Amino acid sequence: MKKQYAFLVDSELCIGCFTCAMACRNYYHPPEGVIWRQVYPLDEEIYPHRERAFYSLACNHCENPTCLNVCPVEAYTKREEDGVVVHHQEKCIGCGNCIRSCPYGAPKYNPVEKRAEKCSFCHERLDAGLKPACIQSCPTGALSMVDLAELEPGNQVQYPAGFPKMEDVNPSTRFILPKLPRLVRR
Amino acid sequence: MATNKSAFSRRSFIKGMVGAGVAGLLPCRFLVPQAQAAAFDPEEFQVFRNACPRNCYDTCSIKTYVKDGVVRFIEGAPESTFTRGGLCVKGYAYTRRPYSPDRVKYPMVQDGRRSGKWRRVSWDEAMDKIARKILELKEQDGNLLGLGMTKYSGNFGITNYAVEGLMSSLGYTTRFVGTPCWPAGIDAQNYDMGNMWCNDPEDMVKSKYIIIWGANPAWCSVHTMKYIMEAKRRGAKVVVVDPVFTQTAAKGDVYWQPKTASDGALALGMARHILDKGMVDRNFTDNHGLGFGEFADYLRGNVTVEWAAEQSGIPAEEIRQVAEEFASADPATIWIGYGMQRHTNGGASVRSIDALVAMTGNVGKEGGGARYGHLQTWGFNYNAMIQQKPEGSVGFVGGAAKGEFDFTSGSEASYSDRTVNINKTAQNILDTKDPALRMLWVSCKNPFGQDFDRPKLEKAFDTLEMVVTVDQFFNETVANSDIVLPVTTLFEEWTVNASYWHYWLGLNEQAIKPMYEAKSNIEIGMALSRKMNELSPGSCTFPQEPDTREWMAKEFNQGIYDLFGIDDWTALKNGPVKAKLASSASWSTFQFGTPSGKYEFRSDICKDNGHMALPEYMEPRKSYDKFRLLTPHTKFAIHSQFLNLDWMQEYDKQPYLYMHPEAAAEKGIKDLDMVRVFNKVGEQKVVAKLTTNVAKDCLLIYEAWFGKGSTFNVQNLVDDESADMGEYKAGAPGVAIHDQFADVEKA
Amino acid sequence: MQSMEFPLVLFTVLSQAAVGLALMGAVRVSSGPQGRSPRREWIMVAGLIGLGLLASLFHLGHPTGAPRALVHLSTAWLSREVLLAGTFAVLAVLAVLVSKTEVNPVLAWAGSLVGLGLILSAGMTYAPPAFPAVNNALPATFFLLSAVTLGAGFGSWFASESRQPLMGGIFGAGLLVALVLYLVVPCVWLSGGAVMRMTGQTWLGSGFYWVHVAVLAACLLVFRLTKGIPVWLPVLLLLGELAGRAGFFADTIHTAANLGGLY
Repeated sequence: MKKQYAFLVDSELCIGCFTCAMACRNYYHPPEGVIWRQVYPLDEEIYPHRERAFYSLACNHCENPTCLNVCPVEAYTKREEDGVVVHHQEKCIGCGNCIRSCPYGAPKYNPVEKRAEKCSFCHERLDAGLKPACIQSCPTGALSMVDLAELEPGNQVQYPAGFPKMEDVNPSTRFILPKLPRLVRR
Repeated sequence: MATNKSAFSRRSFIKGMVGAGVAGLLPCRFLVPQAQAAAFDPEEFQVFRNACPRNCYDTCSIKTYVKDGVVRFIEGAPESTFTRGGLCVKGYAYTRRPYSPDRVKYPMVQDGRRSGKWRRVSWDEAMDKIARKILELKEQDGNLLGLGMTKYSGNFGITNYAVEGLMSSLGYTTRFVGTPCWPAGIDAQNYDMGNMWCNDPEDMVKSKYIIIWGANPAWCSVHTMKYIMEAKRRGAKVVVVDPVFTQTAAKGDVYWQPKTASDGALALGMARHILDKGMVDRNFTDNHGLGFGEFADYLRGNVTVEWAAEQSGIPAEEIRQVAEEFASADPATIWIGYGMQRHTNGGASVRSIDALVAMTGNVGKEGGGARYGHLQTWGFNYNAMIQQKPEGSVGFVGGAAKGEFDFTSGSEASYSDRTVNINKTAQNILDTKDPALRMLWVSCKNPFGQDFDRPKLEKAFDTLEMVVTVDQFFNETVANSDIVLPVTTLFEEWTVNASYWHYWLGLNEQAIKPMYEAKSNIEIGMALSRKMNELSPGSCTFPQEPDTREWMAKEFNQGIYDLFGIDDWTALKNGPVKAKLASSASWSTFQFGTPSGKYEFRSDICKDNGHMALPEYMEPRKSYDKFRLLTPHTKFAIHSQFLNLDWMQEYDKQPYLYMHPEAAAEKGIKDLDMVRVFNKVGEQKVVAKLTTNVAKDCLLIYEAWFGKGSTFNVQNLVDDESADMGEYKAGAPGVAIHDQFADVEKA
Repeated sequence: MQSMEFPLVLFTVLSQAAVGLALMGAVRVSSGPQGRSPRREWIMVAGLIGLGLLASLFHLGHPTGAPRALVHLSTAWLSREVLLAGTFAVLAVLAVLVSKTEVNPVLAWAGSLVGLGLILSAGMTYAPPAFPAVNNALPATFFLLSAVTLGAGFGSWFASESRQPLMGGIFGAGLLVALVLYLVVPCVWLSGGAVMRMTGQTWLGSGFYWVHVAVLAACLLVFRLTKGIPVWLPVLLLLGELAGRAGFFADTIHTAANLGGLY
C-alpha cells in the first residue's frame, strides 16, 4: 500500500475541548462561518451522555476523493507522496460542487474568496517536518497522524457510529471509540 | 510563481491596511491553501515569547509568530513539558483578540451610564477628568478613601500590580480585597499544612490512584489531563467526584455524583472506614501529624459510613470500596477543585479531604498529595505594586486586610488603606461611609460579569460619582462606567507570568505595537501620574517613566533566578523554564508551615479564627428555592473573557440551561425551549437543553459573556453569601457560588 | 440546511424545459406534419437554454472561469453537464438559423439526444453520495419528468391542431407520473436511514414541496377539465417546477448535517 497520511481520532482520549478547531482557525484565519475542523458531539444514542464524547473531524483525505472526482476544473489533487488531498484555491471557480458532493462536508464555501476550501493536512507544515496545527495543539494526544500503510491492526475502526459509511470514497480517518466510566449516581 | 505573487500582494495590502489604522477589519487571509505553497519557513516570521495571563491553572507559554507587525498565529511553547507545544481553545483565540473590531480603541467618555453614548476623548482629556476628580475627592473628604479600586485576576501578568501601585502612589484608598475564586481552600490548607502548596502536576503520572474532587480539568486545565490519562494508562484508577457528570468524569474509571456540598461528609465517611480497617499510615500521623488521635476520636464518635452515605447519596458499599482502594494505593492523590470549596462549608470540606490524604500518608509524597494550588514561584519584587504614599497622605486607621497575592511585608504606618470584601462589592459600595465611596477604579476585573447579585450591583454603581474602567471590550461593567481606558492585550506589553498550579515561568514580550491607543496598566499609571503632578505637584508618586520592558525587568531578583536556574530574565527569551524542584512533591521534607511544624489535624489557628479545630463536618447551606443552581465555567471562556470573540462564537453561539429530562417533564419544558430561571436575586432567560449529566434537583448554566448585544449574565441569579473560610489568607471570606438555588419555568 | 441555490434552480429547470421542448418538437417531426412556426419554437428553446446558462453563471464565485469547467470530463459529471449544455445551446442556435418553415430533423434529433444526455449528466451531478435520499436515479427521473411535462406544455404552443392531442397525452401522463412519484418518494424516504428520513421529513414539512405538488395536481385537474392545455397552463407549471426545484436543493439533507448522529 502507498503511503497515506490519516488523522487518528482517539475518542477515548478526546475531551471535546475544541482546541484543535481553534488551532486551525488560528493558523488559517478562515472567514466567519468557514470551519475546516469541527468537533462533533456524539448523539446520546451512540454515547449515552450528552456532549461528553466527540469526533474531531476535518477532511478525511480519502483514497477516492469525491471532491476530486466531481470538481469540474481539476482544482483538487491527491499528493503522490502522502495521499494528502489538496484544494488549489487559485484554480477553483466556486461552483460548490465539491461542497455539495463530499459526504463528510469537508470543503466549505469561503464567501470572501468566493471559492471552496478545506483542510489541507497543513501540507506546507508536513513538508517542513512539522505536525499539522491541529495535531500539535491537541492537549491529550487524542488527535494524531498515522500512515495507513504502516498502521498496525488494533482497536481503531474506520466507520464508527456517527460517521457515514462511504466505502467507495474510502476515507482515511481512523477512530478509537470512547469509553464509559462506572457511574454511581443519586 | 503566480500564486506566491498574489499572496505577496495580499500581504502588502494587509500591511497597508494596518498602516492606515483599519486593522479592525483583520483578520484577513494570511495563509491561503495552495499546493504550490512552499514548505513552512519559520524564518519568514519574527518569533516572540508570550504567556497567557488568565486566571487559569495552565498559564501557558506561547510562541507568537509575527509578520509585518501583525500576529499571524501562535502556538504553545514546545520547551514546556506542561503545555507541550499546545494551548487551549481559549488560548488559540488570542490571535484574534488584539484585532477584534469590538475592542475599546481609544479613551472614551459615556454621556450617561448605560446610555451607550460613547464619545472619543484624548488620553490627556481622560486623565485630566480623572485627576481633577481625584483631587476634588481629596479636597472635599480630606483623604482619598472615597476612591475605591477593584481588581482581580483579569490579567495576572506581574506588572499589572501597577494598578495597586498606582492607588498607593495616590494615597490611602479603599481596596476591594479577597477573591471569589479559591480562598476557603487556601485557608483550609494553611490551617492543615501551613501553606497552600501542591505537588508538581506533572508527577501525577506516578499516582496509582487519583481522585478528582470537584475539579474539571478537561475544561479548566486541559494540559493536566494528559498526566491523568498517562497515569490511567499505567494502571492507576481515576475516580471523579462531582455533582455534574463533567467531561472529566466521562474520562474516569468511576464517577460519583454526590449531593452538592456533601463533600465533607463523604470524605469523613471514607476516613472513618480507613480508620476502622486499620489502614491509617501511623508513621505519618505519629511523626508528622498533630492531633490525629483527636480526629480519630471525632470520627469514631460522630461519623459512620452509613451516615456519610445518607448525607452524600453515595452508597455505603461504594464509599468503603473506594476508601480501601485509596488507602492501599501507593501513592494516591486527591485533586481538590476550586468548585467544591465555593460553599458555606467549603473550607471545612477541604480540611476533611486534606485529612483523608494525610492519614493515608500521601502528603509529602511524589505522585501523592492533596493538590489544590501553590504560590511557590511568585517571589517577584512587586516593584510596580510597592509605591510610596504622597507626603501627608491620610488614610484609614485600623489596619488593612491583605490578599493572597499580596507579598509585601507589613507596613508600619499608622494609616492604612481601607479594605472591604470583594465578594460583597455591591453591598460595600452601598454601605461604606465616612467617607462614602464616590469614585471607583476598575481594572483587570469585570464586576458585572463576576461579582454577585448583579441587580444590586447596578444600584450600587449608580451611587458612585465617577467610575473609570480599564478594559479591552465594552462589557457590562464598561456600560456602567463614565470613562473607559483601552488596555493592552498580552501581545502589546511586557510582563512575566507564573502559575499557581505548575512550576513553569514564562516571559511575555511585547510582540506588536499596541493597537489603536491602548496602553498597559503601567503606562496608564504613568499617564495619570504625569497629569496629577501637573495639576497638583507631589500628588502622585507613581514613576512617570521608563518603558514597560524596564518595569518588567525590575520584577526579577536573585531568588527567582536561583529557583529557576537562570542568570538573568533575558534567558526566558529562549523559552519558559521550570523551577528546580528538590522533589516533585510538596512537603517532601515533612517540615510543615504550621506552628507545630507538623500536619495539623487539629489546628488551633483555625479554632482561633472562629472555626472548628478539627476537620469536622459542617452542614451545607439551606436551600432557598426549588432547584440547586450551579454556574461553573464553560470550556469556551474564562468568566467574561473569550466568548465575546467572533472566533469563539463559531463554536459556541449561545448560552444554555442544562436540566434533567425528568425535572423538565414535570415543568412541561422540552429540549431547546426558552425558559426563565428565577430566584430571590433576579432572573435570566435562556434556552434549555435536557441532559442526565445534571442531577434531577439541579439547574446548570455556564458563566459567560457573549459580547455586545447579549444581556445574558448568570450573576442575575447568584447572591453574595460568604463561604466559611478565606479571611485568614485572602483578606475576606470566599463566596458560596455553588450554594445557589432557583426555580425555572417555560418562558 | 442547504441554500436553495437560486441560479441552479433556474439553470436546471430552464434547461430542462428547453430540452423538453426540443424533444417534443422531434417527436412531432417524426410523427407527421410540422406545427406552427418551428423557428419561433427553436428561438424559445435557444432562449430557455441561454437564460439557463446565463443564470448558471451567477452560481459561480468566479463566472469568468466557467469555460474551464470543461476540463474534467474524465470523472466530473458537472464537466459533462457543462459540455452537453453548451452543445445543446449551440445546436439550438444552429436550428434557429437554419429552420425557416421546416424543422431540420437531424438537428431536432441531435438536439434531443444531446438534451437527454444533459438531463442524465445533471441527474448524475446532483446525485452525490452526500445526499443519500437522491444518491440514485431520482434526480435524473425528476429532471426527465420536468423536461417532458414542460416540453409538452410549451410544445402545445407550437404544435398543429392535429398534434395537440399528442402533446396533451404526454403532458397528462407526465403530470400523473410526476405527481405519484413526488407523493410516494418522501414517504419511502421516511423508512430509510437517518439522513434519508430527515430528508423525507424536511420535504413533507416544506412549502416548496407542497406548492410543487399542488401545482402538479392543479395542472392535471385543469388538463382533465378542459381536455387540453390552456395557453397559460405551462407557465403555471413552470412556476411549480421552479418551486419544486428550490425544494430539491434546499430541503434535501446532506450527510454532514448529521455527523455524530446515527446514520
